[in-house]
Amino acid sequence: MEIKIMKNILDRNQNKADEVRSILASKKVIMVNMISSPGAGKTTLLERTCEELAGRFRIGVIEGDITTDRDAQRLKKYNIPIVVINTEGGCHLDSHSISKVLGLFDLDNLDLLFVENVGNLVCPSQFDLGETFKLALVSTPEGDDKPAKYPMLFREAKAVLLNKIDLMHYTNFNYDNFISDLNKINSQVVLFEISCTRGDGLKNWYNWISDQNLKPNFISNRL
Amino acid sequence: MKFLQEHSFHGSVKYLTMHEIKIAEDLAVIVLEAARNENLSEVTKVNVSFGQMVQIVPEIFEFAFRETVRNTIAEDCELIIEILKVKIKCSGCGGEFNIDKNNFICIECGSAEIEIIQGKELFVKSIEGE
Repeated sequence: MEIKIMKNILDRNQNKADEVRSILASKKVIMVNMISSPGAGKTTLLERTCEELAGRFRIGVIEGDITTDRDAQRLKKYNIPIVVINTEGGCHLDSHSISKVLGLFDLDNLDLLFVENVGNLVCPSQFDLGETFKLALVSTPEGDDKPAKYPMLFREAKAVLLNKIDLMHYTNFNYDNFISDLNKINSQVVLFEISCTRGDGLKNWYNWISDQNLKPNFISNRL
Repeated sequence: MKFLQEHSFHGSVKYLTMHEIKIAEDLAVIVLEAARNENLSEVTKVNVSFGQMVQIVPEIFEFAFRETVRNTIAEDCELIIEILKVKIKCSGCGGEFNIDKNNFICIECGSAEIEIIQGKELFVKSIEGE
């Protein structure tokens, strides 16, 4: 006997993500799901962003970390609320883990909530956290082939940050290939070319993220 | 506000490596629940569809699923995985196409205003059993 089911396997994750999204919308909090490989510069970008914007906006951070709290320790000096989720080997965060820690934040006094996902380009792209939008961060030493290899992330991201542009000359990163692949996958994505250590391009990023906060746009990421 | 607290889910929530494993676990829950509702004594087949974009490796998925359903009524079932190609619909000319090589642009009119109508599925279609 055949039993029709016709159901999204990640329904449970999706339902919880929808719940998180509606809580954040009601509190007018923008949640940014930051996805990148390990070492692309997520924490450094957060350091720079907190340095520049923590005085103007109420920023919070959820740190997805496999086993340590090192990233969170780096952000402590900005005096912002930080929650660490140790995934104990898990390669991604899911909406249930976010939902469990959301109550630790004073959402009435929060504008921007950054989620630093576990460093990985495949798995985090499949799990909606209830974020307002996804951010893809990639760095030049990783190679120009990342959009072509991980199209789901680059298709779903609202913005792409190309970090370590100051190192481009020392690598075989082909800028034209990167742009051409990215355009084919997501021609509407906003691209920032930055160096978090040297500061290149960060001003545009600060302005853009500040605008997101002023003009909330709660788009659904339902699959 | 400061450093709030460290939240370890170790022991309380089961987190495992590889997205295939988490997805396989969720699939097993759905399959076993459906089998229970229909009073099946054995699940013989599970039919799923995965979109190409979700980058599931069928061999890893099958391995993960087998581990998850071990010692259940689904342990000997056949797992049929269908991979769905990426299909887009153009908002400009209305055309629908399968696309290759990550080219998310209408092949008829060149518009980038397209919607992905197939390719992101993680879908359980049906189960068979007795």
